[in-house]
Amino acid sequence: MFLKTLKKTVGTALVATLGLGTAAYAEYPEKPITLVIPLGAGGSHDLNARVITSIIPTYLNQAMIVRLSPGAGGQKGTQEVANAAADGYTLLFSHNYIDMLQQHVENLPYDPNADFVPVARVNYAPIAVVVRGDSEYNTFEDLINAAKADPGGINMAHSGNWGALFVPAAQIMKATEASFNLVPFQGGGPAMQALLSGDAEVTMGFPSTLSALLDAGKVKILATAGEERIYDDVPSFAELNIGGDVGFMHRVVLAPAGTPDDVLEKLAEAFTALQEDKTYKKMMGRLGENTDYISGGEYQAMREGQNAAYKDLVDSITK
Amino acid sequence: MIEHFAEGALMAFRLDTILMIIVGLFSGMLVGALPGFTTLMAMAILLPLSFFLDPLVGIPFLLGVYKGGIFGGSIPAILVSMPGTGAAVATSIDGYKLTQKGESRKALDMALYASVIGDTFSDVFTILMIFPIALLVMQFGPPELFAVLLMSLVIIVVTSGSNPLKGLVMMLFGLWLAQIGTDPMGGVERFTFGIFDLKSGIPLLPMLMGVFALPEIVYAVMRNEKVGGFAKLVGARLSMAEFKRCIPTIRRSTFIGTAIGIVPGLGQVVAAMMGYSAAKNASSHPETFGQGEVEGVAAAEAANNAVNGPTLVPLLTLGIPGDNVTAILLGAFVAQGLRPGPQLFEEQGAIVFAILVAMVLANLMFIVIGYLSIPFFARIVTIKTGLLVPIVIMFAFAGAYVFRSDTTDILMLVGFGLFGLLARAAKFDVMPMVMGFILGGPLEYAFGQTVAMAGNSPISFMFTERLGMLAVLIATPLIGYALWRRMKTATN
Repeated sequence: MFLKTLKKTVGTALVATLGLGTAAYAEYPEKPITLVIPLGAGGSHDLNARVITSIIPTYLNQAMIVRLSPGAGGQKGTQEVANAAADGYTLLFSHNYIDMLQQHVENLPYDPNADFVPVARVNYAPIAVVVRGDSEYNTFEDLINAAKADPGGINMAHSGNWGALFVPAAQIMKATEASFNLVPFQGGGPAMQALLSGDAEVTMGFPSTLSALLDAGKVKILATAGEERIYDDVPSFAELNIGGDVGFMHRVVLAPAGTPDDVLEKLAEAFTALQEDKTYKKMMGRLGENTDYISGGEYQAMREGQNAAYKDLVDSITK
Repeated sequence: MIEHFAEGALMAFRLDTILMIIVGLFSGMLVGALPGFTTLMAMAILLPLSFFLDPLVGIPFLLGVYKGGIFGGSIPAILVSMPGTGAAVATSIDGYKLTQKGESRKALDMALYASVIGDTFSDVFTILMIFPIALLVMQFGPPELFAVLLMSLVIIVVTSGSNPLKGLVMMLFGLWLAQIGTDPMGGVERFTFGIFDLKSGIPLLPMLMGVFALPEIVYAVMRNEKVGGFAKLVGARLSMAEFKRCIPTIRRSTFIGTAIGIVPGLGQVVAAMMGYSAAKNASSHPETFGQGEVEGVAAAEAANNAVNGPTLVPLLTLGIPGDNVTAILLGAFVAQGLRPGPQLFEEQGAIVFAILVAMVLANLMFIVIGYLSIPFFARIVTIKTGLLVPIVIMFAFAGAYVFRSDTTDILMLVGFGLFGLLARAAKFDVMPMVMGFILGGPLEYAFGQTVAMAGNSPISFMFTERLGMLAVLIATPLIGYALWRRMKTATN
């Protein structure tokens, strides 16, 4: 840590004295950029990143290299980027729960609010509430009423504490005052398998992973996140009075705080251009992901909102 | 169904498919053989390449990488006692002993044939029985997984060595090591002493290299021989007679591996150890196991490869990836516009069967590639000690670092190396510790899930809903005792 600070200080001093401040960054990017993912191989971030990094070099004129750094629930990779030089050559590809929620449940070795600036929200995945095709619950109300009648008696499979399925489940429980028995599984796949095999009565899932099961009638979807309906006959969270930024997994690219503005601009340009790229759209479409881009500045406001909402949520659950 | 199969089988016989399988097998084997690089990493990196290839080229290519990688992992395990993954640990027990006896080529041959046979039979079985397997998979949840993991640990202890008590001590130590880090259920830090680097737990790879490879390097140096610190000769190829002797073992291990592949979450590590333990227990000369018994290599390799077929079933029939490798394959399928799931066989039956046939084809081609490249690999151990030892040390340290790009892991490597030397001096086998460590995490997780699922009524949960778990839990001490008796009489 000390060495890092020393290096940064000396580096800054050198650059300043030699008057290279702007010149050094003028040709950014002059070497490949590393995109750190604080999650494991094969997950949705990994797959998304493989698409992004195979196309974005067209707009950056440099390669972007994926580095997976899983561990400690995402803290390992996040810390690496927090400690990396703020020169735009090390970026983080994370999501809102690691980014904004963890600070309220753990002592982090970094401060997500002060140590990072958002570069872009690449896309998002809305969560869906899922039950088995032959389930007795046909509507969201059925499920909530049953959970209220038998608090903790209904097993809800999720993908790990404070993860992308757990948080919306907790938010639904908070909003509806229903109580589920939350059973963790090691990822969304095993959670879905638990639902299908009868080990759980309800789970959460992203529509991109559900379509095959839905078409085969193996699952029913009772509600989906957001204002708008995703399926014509399934109500949205807003219609069910579950408001706010609930149930969205935002995939975001973050840079260490202090990254020069012109570097951030270059990156923003590249990510904006990426959204218009035909191959990118086609690939993301095949993965079942949207390409709903939000600029770093706009996303910063959302981050602040998430921060407050997650704090409320954690306080209400743990107290 | 049948017409899909016939059509699919013909579709797989394409020159570009076959060429890319060969490229995949070869690159997988090289990556798998490099300590610190995993098959998973290779697949993740090569995945985008498959996006731009024809589905019948891209997906078989990735499958080739996968299969090549698993075998590749057993090369350093056999040659320099450096298992890069948990799955190769059981292989290194007898494989490395064979190398020391100057029979590395025989060990590699056996590993190749056993893995190809185990894999092929489990693939064929999976193709034929895919829907029954899909139903069977659904019968296993966390409670059953917990019971089976517990039983595996008991079997490993009682069959580990001459002194089960020492084995038990080491296993408990391994289970404790698995506790270090963030508790997977509650998120509480355990035994981390506030050190951030310990928060994500102890990494497996530095441990494996530390306890298995570093002591061997030290011993090789101490032997102070000019040529071949690890072995002087590469020896003859595997003879037909030796292969025939191993057929019952390969058959048994293939069965065990396939069965274990059906249980979600168990995987190659358990399969290899169970296959090995079963072979040792069934043998009329269990004392030769661990001393360079070619049957030991066959048992481990056939079992860990036989897992591959059934693990694809949830992916193909439900679109649910059971582990990271299948998650990457799912990505490859989806990017090609194929949607694994209940309707995949109806909508795209021919192409799926073509992929399955390509898998079997990959196995057959692998025999040729493996057979031709083994003499080259086998010679590595005969390099001058003065050159080989530094190279192996470099690979051990580089491998430990590359795995997570974390310098702490180098300290872990050295620490476990010293521990391995001490354990060896005190005649404690490190195998049960490693197994306790690898299986400790999943065991605890499954236990936590079981408790969470049982909720407020654990007794009725166990006695009415989960009879399978109950049966395994009751059978465990009985099986353990029976195996222990057998091992005792056989070794006396």
